[in-house]
Amino acid sequence: MAIVERPTAPLELTSGREVSTRPMGGFTRPQSTTGWTSWLTTVDHKRIGIMYGAAALFFLAIGGVEALLIRAQLAAPEQKLYSSDLYNQLFTMHGVTMIFLVVIPLGAAFMNYLMPLQIGARDVAFPRLNAFSFWVFLFGGLFLNSSWLLGGGPDGGWFNYAPNSGVTFSPSHGIDFYALGLQMTGIASLVGAVNLIVTVLNMRAPGMTLMKMPVFTWMGFVTQMLLVFALPVISVALFLLTFDRLFNANFFDVGEGADPLLWEHLFWIFGHPEVYILILPAFGIVSEIIPVFSRKPIFGYPFMVFSGIAIGFMGWGVWAHHMFASGIGPISVAAFSLSTMFIAVPTGVKILNWMATMWGGKITFSTPMLFSIGLVTMFTIGGLSGVTHAVSPADTQQTDTYYIVAHFHYVIFGGALFAFLGGFYFWWPKVFGYTLSDKLGKLHFWSLLVGFNLTFGPMHILGLQGMPRRMHTYIADYGFEFWNLVATIGAFTIAASMLVFGWNVLASTRAHRRNPVNAGPDPWDARSLEWSTPSPVPAHNFDEVPTVSRLDEFWHQKYQEDENGKVRRVATGAEAAQKGDATDVHLPSPSYWPIVMALGLPLIGYGLIFNLGIAAAGGLVTVLAGFAWGFEPADDPEAHHGAHGHDVHGPSGDGNGSGDGDRHAAEGEEATVGSPSAKEASTDD
Amino acid sequence: MPRMPRRRRGALALALPLFLLLGACASDAPQDTLDPKGPIARQIDDLVNPVFLVAAVVFVIVEFGTLAMVLKFRKRRGEDDDDLPAQTHGNTKLEIGWTVLPAAILAVVAVGTIGTLININSRDDAAMTVRVEGQQWWWRYSYDVDGDGRFEDEEPSTGTDLVIPAGVDVELEIHSNDVIHSFWIPSLNGKKDAVPGRTHTLTLNADEPGTYVGQCTEFCGLSHAYMRQRAVALPQDEFDDWLANQATEAEEPEEGTEAALGAELFTTQCSRCHVARGINDEEWADEGDKTLVAGEAPELTHFATRGAFAGGTYNLWEDLDGDDIVEYDEIGGELNRIDLEAWLRNPPGQKPMAPEARGMPNLQLQEEQIDQLVAFLQTLD
Repeated sequence: MAIVERPTAPLELTSGREVSTRPMGGFTRPQSTTGWTSWLTTVDHKRIGIMYGAAALFFLAIGGVEALLIRAQLAAPEQKLYSSDLYNQLFTMHGVTMIFLVVIPLGAAFMNYLMPLQIGARDVAFPRLNAFSFWVFLFGGLFLNSSWLLGGGPDGGWFNYAPNSGVTFSPSHGIDFYALGLQMTGIASLVGAVNLIVTVLNMRAPGMTLMKMPVFTWMGFVTQMLLVFALPVISVALFLLTFDRLFNANFFDVGEGADPLLWEHLFWIFGHPEVYILILPAFGIVSEIIPVFSRKPIFGYPFMVFSGIAIGFMGWGVWAHHMFASGIGPISVAAFSLSTMFIAVPTGVKILNWMATMWGGKITFSTPMLFSIGLVTMFTIGGLSGVTHAVSPADTQQTDTYYIVAHFHYVIFGGALFAFLGGFYFWWPKVFGYTLSDKLGKLHFWSLLVGFNLTFGPMHILGLQGMPRRMHTYIADYGFEFWNLVATIGAFTIAASMLVFGWNVLASTRAHRRNPVNAGPDPWDARSLEWSTPSPVPAHNFDEVPTVSRLDEFWHQKYQEDENGKVRRVATGAEAAQKGDATDVHLPSPSYWPIVMALGLPLIGYGLIFNLGIAAAGGLVTVLAGFAWGFEPADDPEAHHGAHGHDVHGPSGDGNGSGDGDRHAAEGEEATVGSPSAKEASTDD
Repeated sequence: MPRMPRRRRGALALALPLFLLLGACASDAPQDTLDPKGPIARQIDDLVNPVFLVAAVVFVIVEFGTLAMVLKFRKRRGEDDDDLPAQTHGNTKLEIGWTVLPAAILAVVAVGTIGTLININSRDDAAMTVRVEGQQWWWRYSYDVDGDGRFEDEEPSTGTDLVIPAGVDVELEIHSNDVIHSFWIPSLNGKKDAVPGRTHTLTLNADEPGTYVGQCTEFCGLSHAYMRQRAVALPQDEFDDWLANQATEAEEPEEGTEAALGAELFTTQCSRCHVARGINDEEWADEGDKTLVAGEAPELTHFATRGAFAGGTYNLWEDLDGDDIVEYDEIGGELNRIDLEAWLRNPPGQKPMAPEARGMPNLQLQEEQIDQLVAFLQTLD
């Protein structure tokens, strides 16, 4: 692919006429890197990561309220707080929100922010595409939630089996919003995945071979690979569903010869890798936190990496374990039973390696560490109940009961969400320059642990007692009352605990405003490269792209073996870290077009549901924005021409240096692909 | 860090196996999955119990191991942060060990799983077959009375109550008439989805006569929570009597009685959906609306021989022994008049339905008419 570089000097024409230095393209690029409007046009991977995190927490609040409404209804038998119809919408939207709008984007938030930093890059490979993914995700999520105001939410459950998802059985527009909204968040994840894969493969700092990448980046990389292959499957399924519902396409119409199992297979071929998409970033986070607070390197780095890769591959061969009762033949059931059992092996290896990392360590119980230990202990419970599902005859007793609900909450909440919350506490000082209160953090952790187990522990019992999931009510005298009440109390404990988290963020921010004390580049004495940058990370990430010689490069800058083979500190984090004072680092310019292009997609969505004219307008917006994107200049030389030495000290993104520096960070799509830009960027000044 | 929270953590880690234990011991849970009442469910239970045991051992090792470890290796007050612990990077032999060991345990589990899977899927060709159809939101069971292997329209069908002989295999042939449902009697076997356009099989076998309850476990819309089923196992001779009775037509109520007025009302008001053979066959044939999404409503020829109505939402008879389940000997006892009348008064108010397409509409009956219908329905035994 061609590398388009700006001409460094105007060409001289023989006629002697003055030549504009303006490159091809009819549009200028936005200049502002401060103020709220700059967030709309930013292409900085760190600001995009922050926005992913904020949006995910916003949706977490919505999904959490839905969960509380569900639990309120189930607190006692035969309650009629609201109709079965509304209940069905609530549990559907709770699942869809938590999976697609909370856990996936939380992973995206951490991966966006951290992966470029951990590999020593200045940005992702395609900064504008990165912004586009975020906006598509946000608009897709808002589009999906707007269904509440436009005739009701989807009501088919998050896996939305055909033919119950057809117009005959679900005449409201809810499932249209589901299909089109998830299509949008799917586009967001797919684009983001391509971006991060290219980033990891092409933009690692000199010396950082694949087997020197931090485990988090490795797990992120495997996650993105899963996304690239899994999302097209659900996209196809959602297209079939949309065409069925809007244009009578008959893909799932049994009367016309369809087999509803087609949807089940398509959904779960996506849906099971999806489970690993949710959990692998969390495994990565924990693999970063545990070594830091045990003051030991990760135990068995190659095993950690290869077990992650093994999960990535084996995750494709287990989907039909969601369908043991669906009527597939005994041979299929046997095959998927076996594959499901054996995927427990690499997962178990990870648990044991984390334990071995802690073994013999010097453990500090900081909030991030508590959440990580929380994952190890809680995820194990989910893993063990998972093995009991793999025993397929037993699964025909368990499936679609609360035992399953317990299982996947231990995996996704006790696993993924615990790790992400730990990640918030761990990287907060890196992102914002100040730490969250450890005291409130511990209160958050312990109350969450109690609330979580009170809520989902009893669901094991309810399920084994035969309580099916997705019931808007249950009758008395079946032994369901007591544990449902306990679960409801637990759910409100979780809510209170999350309010503590919110309070922590507010209180810590206010304390920092009143008395700003910078946490320093390396508050935890950590190991990977992001800690070698100042906190908050300057827009250009690294003054000088580091040269990597070992795993845990930053740690080895601080600690070295003395002549007796004893590892001793040779520098503090602050001494070893970069100062963040580089000037004239060339960074990609912000752009208007990612958000404009993303804006076209919900218009197409609303148009398909309500009025095809709006859809056409949305299509036009998207296509025109695509052209504008293509024709905008790589930079805006008129605004910045000759402007060397921008301030790059400010908080993340506030000082976006974009002069004509010698050093080039990723310059959008134009400068990066096929160019060893990371190495180029490492040339010193 | 204070010691107290860690103890609390220990208590929590203890709690889960206790939860499981309590779950297993619950006596008042008629849908308990760990309380098999037949040979097939027992095979599943025997298979999963050792797995639970192994899981419990691993659980204790990981949870208490982690707990003990983080306490043992915690940083003590006054220790120098820069005095690093041994920087072990891994131990390949150990790691191979803990890769192979779980794989070996799982291989054993796998062998047992495959064995049980084959056993519970083997079908007895000589066994009686019942056709099961799920539709929003009730189950129909059709019996092949003449033994020709076909389920004809004239042959009897029942709703909600699947009556089977005890002590022998009964083969189910499971269909759906609209969306996916799942048939499940936990104490007799695992569940099997009813998928439109497909025929799935499941074998039930109950050790003893008795009434075994379950409910639809695949989300199927508005009244999924109310879609229940009962398997009533009878001694073979009682079952034969029951089936012989089901094959007969309903008797017309004696003229002039309240029930006779009810029968007349039934014929005029209910024939669009319901048939009671011997009462409204002709009207039903003329008016019966087969275009309804879920096909027709339950056949009511022997309505009064069932234990529950409205898709199992309500008991039809009073539960006299207080276990909330209407056993076979309680059928024909004391009528649950309150719920039956409430149902006839306004069905959509009693159970979430989509009456314009599926489920029973409100027929705007007068109280007098409701009494007549109830009197008539009681004669359908």
